[in-house]
Amino acid sequence: MSDARLRRVNKEIADCKNDQSSNINIDLIDNSPFHLRGSFDGPQDTPYDGGHFEVDIVIPDSYPFQPVKMKFITKVYHPNVSSASGAICLDILKDAWSPVLTLKSTLISLQSLLCSPEPNDPQDAEVAKHYMTSRSSFEDTARYWTHVYAGGPAPSSAPGAAGKDITGLRDEVAIAGLEKVHVDQFEAIGFERSKVIDVLRRLNYRGSNVSKIPDDKVVEELLRA
Amino acid sequence: MSSDYEYSDDEEYNEYDDDEEAMDVEDGSTSSEEDVEMDVYDDDIKVVSEARKAYEVDYRPLTHQQVKDLMVADIEYISTIFGVGSDVAALLLRHMDWNKDRLTEKYMDDAFSISIAAGISPVPKPSHSGPDRSKRVTRSSKSSKKIEQATISEPFLCPVCFDDTATDTLGLSCGHIFCTGCWAMYTVSKIRDEGEHRVLCMAENCGVVALNPFVHKVLSDDEDTCARYDELLVRNYVACNKNLKYCPFPSCDRSVSCPTASSRSALSTIVPTVSCGADPKHKFCFGCSIDGDHRPVLCVVARMWLKKCRDDSETANWIKSNTKECSKCQSTIEKNGGCNHMTCKKCKYEFCWVCMGPWAEHGTAWYSCNRYDDKSGVEARDAQSKSRASLERYLHYYNRWANHEQSAKLSVELYMKTEKKMEEMQLTTDLTWIEVQFMKKAVDIVENCRTTLKWTYAMAYYLENGNQKAMFEDNQRDLERAVEDLSELLEQPIESETIPVLRQKVTDKSVYVQKRNEILLEDTAKGYLEERWKWNVVVDDL
Ligand SMILES: [Zn+2]
Ligand SMILES: [Zn+2]
Ligand SMILES: [Zn+2]
Ligand SMILES: [Zn+2]
Ligand SMILES: [Zn+2]
Ligand SMILES: [Zn+2]
Ligand SMILES: [Zn+2]
Repeated sequence: MSDARLRRVNKEIADCKNDQSSNINIDLIDNSPFHLRGSFDGPQDTPYDGGHFEVDIVIPDSYPFQPVKMKFITKVYHPNVSSASGAICLDILKDAWSPVLTLKSTLISLQSLLCSPEPNDPQDAEVAKHYMTSRSSFEDTARYWTHVYAGGPAPSSAPGAAGKDITGLRDEVAIAGLEKVHVDQFEAIGFERSKVIDVLRRLNYRGSNVSKIPDDKVVEELLRA
Repeated sequence: MSSDYEYSDDEEYNEYDDDEEAMDVEDGSTSSEEDVEMDVYDDDIKVVSEARKAYEVDYRPLTHQQVKDLMVADIEYISTIFGVGSDVAALLLRHMDWNKDRLTEKYMDDAFSISIAAGISPVPKPSHSGPDRSKRVTRSSKSSKKIEQATISEPFLCPVCFDDTATDTLGLSCGHIFCTGCWAMYTVSKIRDEGEHRVLCMAENCGVVALNPFVHKVLSDDEDTCARYDELLVRNYVACNKNLKYCPFPSCDRSVSCPTASSRSALSTIVPTVSCGADPKHKFCFGCSIDGDHRPVLCVVARMWLKKCRDDSETANWIKSNTKECSKCQSTIEKNGGCNHMTCKKCKYEFCWVCMGPWAEHGTAWYSCNRYDDKSGVEARDAQSKSRASLERYLHYYNRWANHEQSAKLSVELYMKTEKKMEEMQLTTDLTWIEVQFMKKAVDIVENCRTTLKWTYAMAYYLENGNQKAMFEDNQRDLERAVEDLSELLEQPIESETIPVLRQKVTDKSVYVQKRNEILLEDTAKGYLEERWKWNVVVDDL
């Protein structure tokens, strides 16, 4: 059984290497062919455009009869991706899996998930709410995350600001997906605003997370930053 | 079923006339089945020669094979009236959760759609679809064999394992072909990893489901997985059939059929305690998932009670915040009533509940403790004392409930002690093994009746005060006394000269205890039917 699994995975990796047209990459993380890293570029004309996204791939023992396990390594601001863990809500990774699907075809599906979010079946309720209530603000945040985490271009509202301090941005708090009161609260203690935004963003200080992250922890991070 | 007759007037459905006759026959046999059950019941009466007690329900323990037989009978029924193979009939039934009537209705309405939905026929390709195929599609599965053979003759690359040397290939009616090895591993994974009996075609977005012979063929010599698959099918059948329930005991494969308890409304008048028959311990409630025997209390009341007990930790918190330690001797003092003038029962120290200061300092101006006059404080105290009273009431029932539960648990220990005694008795007297069984039997009776007693406290907690409750509590008290007496007899040391006396006493008391238990259960059960029991809470969230 594992023989067939190994043969298939090796062939899948080789096929993917040979096929330059798809722009999907699959690389070994360690020496095992059953723990891989997939990556692809963010789809054009989306807030993810210009970013490069990495996905953690674990091949279960009963692959391909049970679905491959995938989650984003790169932080993604998307209704169907957990902003904290990178966990993905996609039917083919669950009950709609078919053994004829491959790592490549699954990664392509992830790529197209970035084009067409499914806010009614959310993985991250906070992000989905943002997506539903204010599309342009959602897209600002998604673009900002693409810039910060996926190496995408600096948002156009601050042209040429790629290397600059984010304070140059218009309403950087909202774009970072944070609440003004939270930023104000820590700024009032005496920390630099840009630092506060950076730390809160890294701590994912949003929604239900806020109550889970004690103030001490934030201050500790701020002192370290 | 009446809708089927309407169809017979319709010219278009003439081809179903044969089926209709078949259905009539089936209908006939259904009623005769009931007759058979009645006969069995009559036989029981003859054999046991006593009527069923009011607190017992009619039920039938079923072995795995017997359930299988029922399942096969349903499949054969559908197979006959639809004129389809039994494997197709089985899949149609599984798709409709084994609801024969709804399946018949839907099938008569649109056989084609339901065959697709059930995964028997593939979704037609746009070019092939035609209205003519909408009837009896289930027979079209033969055409897929042609596709299968045609594909085999060409060089084949299995799309799952990428192996181009595989010669053994298989496919379902959709024509998607895979190598036999992949089919086997896939099927094993579905059944073993997922516990899934629906083995779908491996192709993406193909909804065709493997029929039983296909699954068995693919699993060929994997007997374990075959057996697991068959069990999953039977479990699905039982889960879908409200007249049936699996025995909840681990690794027990028996079930119980209890149609009288299958409706929710039935559970407002009966407590359907059943047993699968494999072991006397395999006793469970057909109406809910509380294990063991919760008679005499109704499922919904038992559930309410258990929920209350789970929320008990809240009670403990209340006690913490409503008891204080005497500042002199440190013994625990609970606030009682509204007065703040407290006197420690132990050391007679007098103090103020509010400030914990010595009462003497408050002097005649006892109201000088400012919080006392506070209006909200007075209200809070009233609420507190109400809540205190209700807590005390709850604890009264809870302690007795818990005590019987604890004692019933300890009876395992008593059982072992008794067994030792029985061995002793055989050695020291000329009593035979059979003759010392009275001890074991008595322990069983005690355990059994303690379970009844335990639940009577849950019942009494929710019973409205009045004559009925008083009578219930009389029965409860009589049973309780009898059980405690018998328990005490069982704990007595054995002396060889007193054994005959002890034996007589234990036997007599056992008979009496059983009788008291029966009286209580019988009266409670009748009370449900006569709607005698009034609750002090709303009991209708069945
Ligand atoms: Zn294969
Ligand atoms: Zn198929
Ligand atoms: Zn059992
Ligand atoms: Zn019950
Ligand atoms: Zn005291
Ligand atoms: Zn007083
Ligand atoms: Zn005071």
